Amino acid sequence: MPRIEDIGAFNAVRETGLAKLTPSVPRIAIGMGTCGRGNGAEGLYHAFLEVIERSGTDFYLTNVGCFGACYQEPLVNVRVPGSPLLILHRIQANDAGRIVHDIATGTINPELVYCKIEEWDHITGSIRYGHGYPEVPLWNEVPFFKGQKKIVLRNCGLINPDDIEEYIAVGGYQALYKTLIDDKPESVIEQIKASKLRGRGGAGFLAGNKWEFLRKAVADQKFIICNADEGDPGAYMNRNEIESDPHSLLEGMIIGGYVMGASQGIVYVRAEYPLAVHRLNRAVEQAREYGLLGDNILGRGFNFDIQLVEGAGAFVCGEETALIASLEGEAGRPRPRPPFPAQKGLWGKPSNINNVETWYNIAPIITRGPAWFTETGSAKSSGTKVFSLVGKVHNSGLVEMPMGTPIKTFIYDIGGGGLDGRSIKAVQTGGPSGGCIPGEMFDTPVDYESLAQLGAIMGSGGMVVMDEDNCMVDVARYFVEFTNSESCGKCIPCRVGLNKFLRILNRITLGSGQMDQLERLDELSRYIRDCSLCGLGQTAPNPVLTTMRHFRQEFEDHIVSHRCVAGICAELALAPCENSCPLHMNIPRFLELYKEGRMEDAFESVIMDNPLPCSTGRVCQHPCGKRCRRQTIDDPVNMREVHRFIADQILLTDRFEDAARRVAARKLETTGRKIAVAGAGPAGLTAAFYLALLGHDVTVFDSLPEAGGMLRFALPEYRLPKPVLRREIELIERLGVKFILNTRVGFDISLNDLDEQFDAVCLAIGTWKESWVYLPGTELKGVLPALTFLEAVSKREAVNLGRKVVVIGGGNAAIDSARTALRLGASVTVAYRRERKDMPAIEEETLAAEEEGAKIVFLSAPHRIIGDAKGNVKALEVVHTRLGEYDRSGRRKPVLTDQVQLLDCDSVIVAVGETVDLDFAKASGLQIKDGSTIEVDHFTLETSRPHFFAGGDLVTGASNVSGAMGYGKQAARAIDRQLMDAERWELLFRPLHYGQTPPKEPSESGRHHSHAVPARERANSFDEVTFGLSPEETHEECCRCLRCDAAVEVSR
Amino acid sequence: MPQKKISLRIDGELVNAVEGQTILDATRASGKSIPTLCFLEGLSPVGACRLCMVEVSGIDRLFPACTTPAQDGMAVATTSARLSRYRRMTIELLLVERNHVCAVCVANGHCELQTMAYNMGITSVRFAYNFPRLPVDLTHPRFVLDHNRCILCTRCVRTCAEIEGAHVWEMISRGIHARIVPDLNQKWGDARTCTNCGKCVQACPTGALAEKGKAMEEMVRSTTAITSLAHRRGAAV
Amino acid sequence: MKKLKLATVWLDGCSGCHMSLLDLDGAIIPIVRKVDIVYGPLVDAQEFPEDVDVTLLEGAISTQEDVEKLQQIRSRTKLLVSLGDCAVTGNVSGMRNGIPVNKLLQQIYVDGADLGGCIPGDGLPQLAKQARPAQDFVKVDICLPGCPPPNKVIAGFLNNLLDGRKPETNAKVKFG
Repeated sequence: MPRIEDIGAFNAVRETGLAKLTPSVPRIAIGMGTCGRGNGAEGLYHAFLEVIERSGTDFYLTNVGCFGACYQEPLVNVRVPGSPLLILHRIQANDAGRIVHDIATGTINPELVYCKIEEWDHITGSIRYGHGYPEVPLWNEVPFFKGQKKIVLRNCGLINPDDIEEYIAVGGYQALYKTLIDDKPESVIEQIKASKLRGRGGAGFLAGNKWEFLRKAVADQKFIICNADEGDPGAYMNRNEIESDPHSLLEGMIIGGYVMGASQGIVYVRAEYPLAVHRLNRAVEQAREYGLLGDNILGRGFNFDIQLVEGAGAFVCGEETALIASLEGEAGRPRPRPPFPAQKGLWGKPSNINNVETWYNIAPIITRGPAWFTETGSAKSSGTKVFSLVGKVHNSGLVEMPMGTPIKTFIYDIGGGGLDGRSIKAVQTGGPSGGCIPGEMFDTPVDYESLAQLGAIMGSGGMVVMDEDNCMVDVARYFVEFTNSESCGKCIPCRVGLNKFLRILNRITLGSGQMDQLERLDELSRYIRDCSLCGLGQTAPNPVLTTMRHFRQEFEDHIVSHRCVAGICAELALAPCENSCPLHMNIPRFLELYKEGRMEDAFESVIMDNPLPCSTGRVCQHPCGKRCRRQTIDDPVNMREVHRFIADQILLTDRFEDAARRVAARKLETTGRKIAVAGAGPAGLTAAFYLALLGHDVTVFDSLPEAGGMLRFALPEYRLPKPVLRREIELIERLGVKFILNTRVGFDISLNDLDEQFDAVCLAIGTWKESWVYLPGTELKGVLPALTFLEAVSKREAVNLGRKVVVIGGGNAAIDSARTALRLGASVTVAYRRERKDMPAIEEETLAAEEEGAKIVFLSAPHRIIGDAKGNVKALEVVHTRLGEYDRSGRRKPVLTDQVQLLDCDSVIVAVGETVDLDFAKASGLQIKDGSTIEVDHFTLETSRPHFFAGGDLVTGASNVSGAMGYGKQAARAIDRQLMDAERWELLFRPLHYGQTPPKEPSESGRHHSHAVPARERANSFDEVTFGLSPEETHEECCRCLRCDAAVEVSR
Repeated sequence: MPQKKISLRIDGELVNAVEGQTILDATRASGKSIPTLCFLEGLSPVGACRLCMVEVSGIDRLFPACTTPAQDGMAVATTSARLSRYRRMTIELLLVERNHVCAVCVANGHCELQTMAYNMGITSVRFAYNFPRLPVDLTHPRFVLDHNRCILCTRCVRTCAEIEGAHVWEMISRGIHARIVPDLNQKWGDARTCTNCGKCVQACPTGALAEKGKAMEEMVRSTTAITSLAHRRGAAV
Repeated sequence: MKKLKLATVWLDGCSGCHMSLLDLDGAIIPIVRKVDIVYGPLVDAQEFPEDVDVTLLEGAISTQEDVEKLQQIRSRTKLLVSLGDCAVTGNVSGMRNGIPVNKLLQQIYVDGADLGGCIPGDGLPQLAKQARPAQDFVKVDICLPGCPPPNKVIAGFLNNLLDGRKPETNAKVKFG
């Protein structure tokens, strides 16, 4: 190939290239980035080659880089002349035959198609592929690409990275040509300055200024350096860019060399990126061959060459002075600045260092002009930024978005939210130098200033998403472990400071941390940040500072209560199920004990962890299932039904007496201390149970005529038969707990009286106050709050609903009301303003309600209730909503439309949430938080008034049964510790020894579900609707447990 | 070429200096002091110990006085509550990093680290001691290298390279595992580039490099010898 | 006047710090008049008493028994003073810390024995993995480093304390 020295030669190459990009025969291009190859792209290429050879048809088969959707690899581009480019996803070798056949016959299997491109703006040029395939979405209609603007990635995944002609065909090297022809280096610098392009390596220094420094430096030799030492965990933008489009880097650097007066360029790239190194070497060779690199570039008398240096992978070499030291053959240790590289850089000569991505922005700015560039992005941060979106997110890959895009767009719109519907806790940007941004702050725009304000940094572009399974202390520890091992050892703050940092964090994750160590961490952070020599040390505390700022509670949990909420820190969590259970039931233990046939022991394990197992066995939200690792194989173990079965077998049979005696035998010696519990709901009953076992004299007060609280008066009979609850309460009574009913604390008996008569008071009052929607028409006859309705039904009072009922809401109270109303003979519609997946109600309950005939209308917000002339409800008017932006909970906000629907009805049940009636706490000395709950110490549950403790809904707002019980348990322990000035809790429990061998292979059986009465039979009756499991099924469920808790000796 | 005169304020006091001097040069020339460990007059500054960090008014960051050029009109604070906290932290971290058993150290009483702790009134440290297991190299006929006492100031490295011109010493490994080694990690006794001149021993601020045969408290040294050698060398050039 | 209850404790140290305490010369006489030495190698008490005003602790913490003693001392002492480098830094006692305990014992009691060496076991508390300073286990109020701390430092500290001044030493103290 002759060297390109004039526009004619240039155009000739361009034509050759275009003939490859849009050939007259079908073109098949395999995505051959590292991500594609890792998913079998090479085998795929050979499969296509073979199929094409066999078919005897003419195809143009080639490679491209990565188009960004790494989670859909391997990607294959297919284009038939005159038609759009189709991007096929997740293609396997055995699809090749079918695809080739389809192309020949002009059809395409829609399942294989990801998206299409009709025309593409390569920024430096454009390609029109053609129109067609109306059923296939355009690339930027696919959620992952929606809103993306590909400037840096303009050629990635579309051209063959090994072929300079394809690069030239899309306008490559035109910017260089223009620069050399114009011969006005100052004006190029002015353009770069006007574009406000900031260095993409992380710190965001203005590239134009940096260029100007070097241009003005006087020296016999200058160097241009590209920093491709990408080392952040989770970041692979630069690798992908070089692998997919190496010439864009070269072009940017050659322009830079010309403008800044340098004759030598160096790309410092990690040796761990063999494919990038290979392709870049190839690109350098080709560029030389075509006269674009080397002597007399483009015949304009400019000499510039580029050399590749492979770095040995030291993270600190991302620091420019360390990189220079490494280039000079020394150990990669940073040097103090000043002197800056622009004054004294490589070999003491003035040098310019820019990140890979900065160089990729040069040709577009020169081609389209700075005004075009600043159109994208925010005021201070122009253009786009490429991120590698990875971690616990549904769609992962390379994402190029305009600067200033809010984080939530990345996470929810592009990323598609958490894996398996899990909620996302935080996102980490900037790798070990960056910080964790909590979910509440996902509105933050991604630009240099906004991220810095949160203590994070933009960094080179890693964006690691973390969900509730990530422990933030462990995350902080992980990053410090990384920076500690990557510290060069030169300066003391980084070398010793980070080491101390790591040791302290290690201790916290092992459960042997102290609270004062948090202050020490804080102090060390500031010291390391302010005193370290280079960026590595100066930014290394960021992950710790941000996690301590935004997730301090998790640190305190590790230190004070020795708990790792995420269940990551092995020393602090038994198993994910136990960890997520608010009662911390030792679930693997009772599963194993039952499996071993030790029913009595299994029951003891259950009852000592949870005093209301028959109730929770029926109605618990079972958070344990959400975290069960068995679901990585099939479905979670049905732990709720197993403990229900075990408890039913004892408590609801003639084995009750014996069991009650055995539980009572665990009671400690009488202490003579008197404790009052206010509220006989799940929290109060649980507290009473444990306090009585601890030997205290316990009296429970409740305003209602029977004990049980919500379990008794809100949960419908068909879910929880009252005799079952009665049995559990009887067991608690056997421990000596006294109940004083029909007595409302704060009214019938004052808090001062309680204070006088008792040594401690445990407040466990439920959320009995109905939240109310303020709609026109709520005053009409036939509008009633859900709790009032459920309570009346449970007391067997007559409720006249009429024939048609509409329930407003999507929580458990709404579904309970709907199913209860059905049983009273009404036809029921539930109106919910969001989507099905957003409903807080237990999923099984919702499905059961629908089976029984309830109709649920989603995306419908109540607007007004319409009455007739007599003041009776006639209909509910709902406004249809559409899903808007994501809110802080990661759900999309319902936005009202103008579409209205009338739901005819005779009554409306409002179930939009409950709150605590805090009237009792007026002038009580109890501090109130946010006007709705009682303020307590997170660990001891002490209120602001001495001897008064509080737990359950009173502290959290409306929650659920197991959540409230967890508080009751915690309160009992805290009260005992305070009264007795000793930790006596463990004395309650008899050690139960059980098998510690995990199954060799996961058992074959699938998840067993509780047996239900057929919908038609149950819908008219208040009889219990589920029977639970059979003994055999229970056994099989126990065998399904993978035993995450078993301590396995690892031989090293 | 006459050097340009500049003036700056150091702790409020107007000080004259010449362009090219560092903040540390200017401060010391004016008779004040800033604590340093890795700095040794006559050797190129490396900014490693971070003890000489100073505040420059109007800028939030701290600057190492030993490598930051003094600038006309600059206002420098060499002491502040924050700087004292940080300096104390540096000394504490050095004390816990390795095994500085002053009681049995040859440099006891002549050790810059020990003196620094004494001057700062440090009577205990707030961090757990690392107690690493580190070797002592006794292979050289005249000198001892005790890694337990080394603070990685690299004064020996620079003295050897810049004054003696032998380049025996180099730093190996990363982070907390970094160590000073002769001749690409040979035993000192096997290091063929070593000229046995002993300048590194004179430059060492602690008991890491010492003459053989010295008992506890006996290793008195002269860092000023290094400085004057450097000046003489500079004059000769 | 009520006398100050002073205890001295000798854990893993060489007793040099106690020697330094005795080395106060004439200064010791007015001090002794104002204190009751209620526990320590200098007196006969078998059990560490309750309500001690000041405890001077010599030596590093080398065994589990030391840890338990230290915790008891802390809970019964108002002002706990680490006296000397071993209690403050681990010092010479801590020089064994890089060596595994069994190897250490083997080297000293078996390999180093002139004849018939054996590792002593019976009734002796087991050596912990490391000898560590007291503040690694409990809160220490004052540290008086030095090997040993000079008698002037000890006297200065005690006199400050007895005269009702802030309990600190006036002189700067160096390690070693």
